[in-house]
Amino acid sequence: MEIFEHSRTIYSVPHEIPLGVLIAVYFYLTVLSAGSFVISVVANLLGLTQYKPIAKITAVLAPLLLMIAPLNLIIDLEQKPRFWELFVFLNPTSPITWGSFLLTLYPLSAIIYAYFVFTGNKSLSRLFGIIGIPLAISVHGYTGFILALAKGRALWNTFLMPVLFLVSAMVSGIALVIIVYIGKLWWFSKGKSPEEMEKEKGLVSNMCGILVGSIVTDLFLIFCDVAVLMTSISEAKEVAHLITMGKFAPYFLGVELFMGGVIPLILLTTPATKRNLGVQFAASLLVMAGIMAMRYVVVVGGQYIPLSM
Amino acid sequence: MKNLEGEHNQNSDSVHSKETKPCYGMVIDLRRCIGCHACSVACKAENKVPLSVFRSWVKITERGAFPNARRYFLPLLCNHCEHPICVINCPVKASYKRDDGIVLIDYDKCIGCKYCIASCPYEIRFVNPERRTVEKCTFCAHRIDKGYLPSCVNACPTTARIFGDLNDPDSEVSKLLANNPVQVLKREMGTEPRVFYIGADLFAMKERF
Ligand code: SF4
Ligand code: SF4
Repeated sequence: MEIFEHSRTIYSVPHEIPLGVLIAVYFYLTVLSAGSFVISVVANLLGLTQYKPIAKITAVLAPLLLMIAPLNLIIDLEQKPRFWELFVFLNPTSPITWGSFLLTLYPLSAIIYAYFVFTGNKSLSRLFGIIGIPLAISVHGYTGFILALAKGRALWNTFLMPVLFLVSAMVSGIALVIIVYIGKLWWFSKGKSPEEMEKEKGLVSNMCGILVGSIVTDLFLIFCDVAVLMTSISEAKEVAHLITMGKFAPYFLGVELFMGGVIPLILLTTPATKRNLGVQFAASLLVMAGIMAMRYVVVVGGQYIPLSM
Repeated sequence: MKNLEGEHNQNSDSVHSKETKPCYGMVIDLRRCIGCHACSVACKAENKVPLSVFRSWVKITERGAFPNARRYFLPLLCNHCEHPICVINCPVKASYKRDDGIVLIDYDKCIGCKYCIASCPYEIRFVNPERRTVEKCTFCAHRIDKGYLPSCVNACPTTARIFGDLNDPDSEVSKLLANNPVQVLKREMGTEPRVFYIGADLFAMKERF
């Protein structure tokens, strides 16, 4: 409408973005932790000797990452010394309150689990693995709820958020494991016979297969999300425009989808490259960069459009 | 107070049933607003709001081309929502709603996680750069408790801001709500704002198309 083309906001107060990069990094680290924990437990439950090393690596990664992650949250507080209040004044309707407990219980169970994995106690490591899985899933699912329940933001306020976060946890968790595993192979490759190397490579290729599957699922969910945003209420359309054509398009289309999704998919499915350790390593790195871009786009991009101006 | 858009009878019925408890709200009659910012200034002075942040301000929009052009004013403040997302999401219950409907923040309790800022659909909250906690409009609860009007209402030279008890059918706010077409901001959020506007402009309210 011509008349609204001539509409302007003359004055309003400056718009701020309350939750920034620290929160995006926090989401990213929890993602990695939850993802690698689940992989560890699955590898452990399968019980096959070839999966043993994977179970061990991931058992260490999971609690390690999750001890760093909440530090981001505390640093981001305006009143850092008051963080203990999170455990005293509880609000059952706030996902952050759920998180305070999940972020305490989950690393605990992950540490106990890792202890039993390393001491070789089969039954107990399985038990704590099984206890830990719902915790790992909730620790990541709840971060999706943090965004989904802030309903003023069109990009966040969808039931898909927790699901999307879980799938991307899977994606980046597997990618991280592949990176660490290949790194370990290169480091310790000297003493190994060619047959052993072949076996190890087969294992990496298996993991790459799972990675491809989860990237496809992730891309499908993102497609659904954006397709609905583009046809939804005006604020949703606006944020869809922001991430596909506006300021966040380079991060969303370029880094998240193309670099972190399409290219690794091509690399890991082309027969000429898919069994090459170097390619697998590079593809996994790209995937991890893509998921970090996703966190950034969701957290910061989601708040980019002013609500009151 | 649920059915303000509905019939008057139904409205006053529900009002009578809750006679005892006050429920504070504001009506902003934009037919009277001249965009002088007296309310913003009064708020700053009364609440010692630091530079660069605002508890209440007057958004100005403009439409059309000369000679068919006009400016629209939209004073903004906390809506003291019936279902405040900020309170629902505050992890330590530092944000709370009083029995009289006023939404407040306990500054000694707020940990500054800023989740409420991200949650409020009206972007009415901010971090006070001096106190380092979140804050927002309080409807001047400290004045109300002493029987005074909020500072912005007190300062408005054209009486465009009217404050009172929405549960009292004889209050000026109730009468205005009964006799005028009113709007709230972002009704679709389900927050049930307690700040009502008479004559608010679509573009000013919705910001964009
Ligand atoms: S306007 Fe925002 S800050 Fe005020 S009560 Fe509603 S949700 Fe909370
Ligand atoms: S910033 Fe303060 S008031 Fe807001 S949600 Fe966090 S603790 Fe509650």
